[in-house]
Amino acid sequence: MFTVTQVGSWPRSRDLLRALRDKQQGRMTRAEFEAVADEEVRRCVAHQVEAGVDVVVDGEQRRDNFYSFVTDKLDGTRLMSLAEMLDTVPDKAAFEEMLTTLDVPASSIRNPTCTGRLARREPLAVDELRFVRELTDLPVKVSLPGPYLLTRSMWVGAFSRAGYDDKTEMGDDVVRILREELIELRDAGASFVQFDEPVLTEIVMGDEHDRRTFM
Amino acid sequence: MAGVEGVRTGLHVCRGNWSRQEDVLLTGDYERLLPAFRAMEIDQFVLEYATPRAGELAVVGEALGHRELGLGCINPRTDEAEDPAAIVARAEEALRYYRPEQVFLNPDCGFGCFANRCVNEEAPAVAKLHSMVQAARVLRERYGA
Repeated sequence: MFTVTQVGSWPRSRDLLRALRDKQQGRMTRAEFEAVADEEVRRCVAHQVEAGVDVVVDGEQRRDNFYSFVTDKLDGTRLMSLAEMLDTVPDKAAFEEMLTTLDVPASSIRNPTCTGRLARREPLAVDELRFVRELTDLPVKVSLPGPYLLTRSMWVGAFSRAGYDDKTEMGDDVVRILREELIELRDAGASFVQFDEPVLTEIVMGDEHDRRTFM
Repeated sequence: MAGVEGVRTGLHVCRGNWSRQEDVLLTGDYERLLPAFRAMEIDQFVLEYATPRAGELAVVGEALGHRELGLGCINPRTDEAEDPAAIVARAEEALRYYRPEQVFLNPDCGFGCFANRCVNEEAPAVAKLHSMVQAARVLRERYGA
């Protein structure tokens, strides 16, 4: 009772941010990046164990953000800056104004844009889970982007039509991929799998429901 | 989710975690999401309740008190660790709608959803974990186990 856990992400250190940037710009190999991230996850898990948390997380240290990281794992995707996406938005001025008004760090947020048929090159988070399970016997929680968030953010018509006729057709593949992932995470010993759907509140609380925002 | 047994599933819904300016993040309770929540085969709803933006526990508690609650009880975007007593009080409020076994304690959201714009640093985050653990100890003493 009163199980203590986290929602998912942990602050990134300067070393990790530097390594992430180097990896994204091709100056660091994936193996080198993972070695840096391993150390960060070790420290993050140690903090949780020492504090007495009951269900631990890996802190999403290997992820660019909580949903864009899927571009590392899925064929048919490309990590895209909001600036790149801006060119495809019909009302560019309104989009820019929205980013400023909401204090959205446009240069810091990248989107996992669908650019072709989606297929799992590798599991989304099974590696994250396996590594944490090597560090502790405590139960592990894994966070995944929810199907609505992924479908909404990944569909950028100008690019995504290369793989799908419409957003719904792509969404069916997103759901299938997430379901496969859930089953693999369970089989790999995950105690808790959490799907993140921050955009749901925006749909019901925002003023303009069909307007594209930054997620 | 249907038919996948043997792992706890959760849905986390929040109103934004990209800025420390509370007034640009979204405000409102979960009332309008209830129909969607009810339809989902999810064990636990992991929700924000640490700031006044989130509305009352009763909204989801009265409608979905048979599911688990991941009670957001600390704000990941501030520097000061929450007082464990305040977390205990919030959890006790949740006990009007949930049994102790159904209540998990967690922050409202992650401490760094966007790598380049983490909303916090490590030391305050660690202090906040300690606050939750202390609150859980008090709660377990009061409510058994």
